[in-house]
Amino acid sequence: MNPQLLAPAVSYSTQVLVIGSGAGGATTACLLAEAGFDVLIAEEGPWVEQDTVVPFSLEQMDRQYRAGGVTVALGLPSIAYTEGRCAGGGTEVNSGLYFRPPIDVIERWRRDYRIDGLDLDELALIADQVEAAINVTTVPGSPTPASEVLRRGAAALGWKHSEIPRWMTYPPGGDAVTGRRQSMTRTYLPRAAAAGARMVTDCRVDRLVREGTASIRAQVSYASGLRGEIRCQFAFVCGGAIQTPALLQRSGLRRHIGRSLAVHPTVKLAARFRDEVNIPDDVPVHQVKEFAPNLSFGGSASHPGLVALALSDHWSEFASAIEDWRKISVYYAAITSEGRGNVIAVPGLRDPIVTYRLTPRDRALLRSGMARLALLLLEAGATDVYPSFRGAPLIRHRDQLSTLNQQFAVSKASLMTVHLCSTVPLGEDRSRCGADSFGRVHDAGGIIVNDASLLPDAPGVNPQATVMAFAIRNVRHFIDTNGPSGG
Amino acid sequence: MRSVPSSSLVGPFADRLLALDLPGLHPARRREAIDFTTRRVDSLPSLMRFGVMSIAAIFRALLVLPRSDTLVKFLARTALPLLGEYVRLLRSLGYAYIWETWPDTRPDGSQPDDAEPGGTQPGGRAA
Repeated sequence: MNPQLLAPAVSYSTQVLVIGSGAGGATTACLLAEAGFDVLIAEEGPWVEQDTVVPFSLEQMDRQYRAGGVTVALGLPSIAYTEGRCAGGGTEVNSGLYFRPPIDVIERWRRDYRIDGLDLDELALIADQVEAAINVTTVPGSPTPASEVLRRGAAALGWKHSEIPRWMTYPPGGDAVTGRRQSMTRTYLPRAAAAGARMVTDCRVDRLVREGTASIRAQVSYASGLRGEIRCQFAFVCGGAIQTPALLQRSGLRRHIGRSLAVHPTVKLAARFRDEVNIPDDVPVHQVKEFAPNLSFGGSASHPGLVALALSDHWSEFASAIEDWRKISVYYAAITSEGRGNVIAVPGLRDPIVTYRLTPRDRALLRSGMARLALLLLEAGATDVYPSFRGAPLIRHRDQLSTLNQQFAVSKASLMTVHLCSTVPLGEDRSRCGADSFGRVHDAGGIIVNDASLLPDAPGVNPQATVMAFAIRNVRHFIDTNGPSGG
Repeated sequence: MRSVPSSSLVGPFADRLLALDLPGLHPARRREAIDFTTRRVDSLPSLMRFGVMSIAAIFRALLVLPRSDTLVKFLARTALPLLGEYVRLLRSLGYAYIWETWPDTRPDGSQPDDAEPGGTQPGGRAA
């Protein structure tokens, strides 16, 4: 069952308010409701049924992304990023690729950030449960042609590669493109509803005001323009790594909040093949991990509009390729970045300012990533490779890769990212952590963060599974500590 | 600048840019692509929209100068710091819309001989 969607109202009250309904918020709401708490979920975006929108389309960006998908972390260069803004958050719009929480990375986080009570066996057990709940599985039959390209190129070079499982269900006899995404609106949110959680959509929480030691008032505004408030005993802030720190800052909480944004910057290129490879409504499931975690290669959504976008940085030379868009797919090289960014809520501005600064090592990795990705695709049989940066050369042979290397500059490239983390890192190291080992914001009783903001760093892989594992761990600790009656 | 609609500041330069880049694009399609572009600009985060609209105001003013066609060509083909990012944004939004809505559009913006201009279906899919 879907959650009971409440109408906008001037006043609501609840025991626990969960702000945001993505990977962190949906799991939080579900477990709290199942434990007997009175839960209200406030989601800034609308509820959009999956079947009513074409995946990776501009229409989807209009309906389910913040600002239509046009959001940028300012810097030299700026990095475009996207945020889901709908019931289910990013899980409704991302690639659906699942990476189990990387234990070596988490072990480092535990040590460096002094995260208490972080039991790696417990996280592994939670990951097992998440994988069952969202049906993590590989595609039936053959992967799509654009995915096969990655496998073929890596095999030719002897590079490590693998098919990444997804949270999907497939009908009997279905193939790679018949999957139904097991996002939060199909899994944890219905479970939360079945346990009694309520939900209000198109409802933005503008500010949290603590009143005494046991009461919080959330000032909210609805898409209709109505303003109201939600009173609660506890507030779980799960708006993602940009909106969560922005809300906390608007609420007067700034210590180590929003100062350490971490992302996986990516560069892109388009590659043309002799045969048709483009499946517009799906993304490749293979990834190449020969240089991981520093550098990973994968495939992007490749609607014809996105192919045109990838070619647009050197349109005067690349334009003719667009007629062959069915033979073209878009690929990316993603890096683990040592750079950091800021999220800054400015009084009077509705949206936060986001900045990001790459390090010289990041720039070198992106350059190397572009050249190696081009090599991979040539080995996979690409006839033409179109790197996405201003003045890029057309690459047809391996001996042109040195030209690519010489001409590439990060400042000319269209950088982007989809993995945003680390703006309220958790741990007991108060010199850099915005929340304690279980997400409780320091010196802000009753306000708990439970989303990607908590991860101390970008983990080098799609972070959704790690976000869900941490969120479930934290909320279980909360339940044990507070009990369903509010202990 | 939230109250200033982007169509008045962004629209005229976007129109000239797309006409220059894609001379074969039917004017009705160009208008539709520009409508999409200005809608997206209107939904940008507040500070980003302020920055875009500030640059758009400069570009809008340049369009009334004599020999503005030459100027538009220069701005369209030269990657100037900051100003070039504005051109890149308009081009990205316009191209993405055009090829997602009419995937068989030719590189110069013209449509295949057997296609009719305009006429999108709900959801922005080609007619």
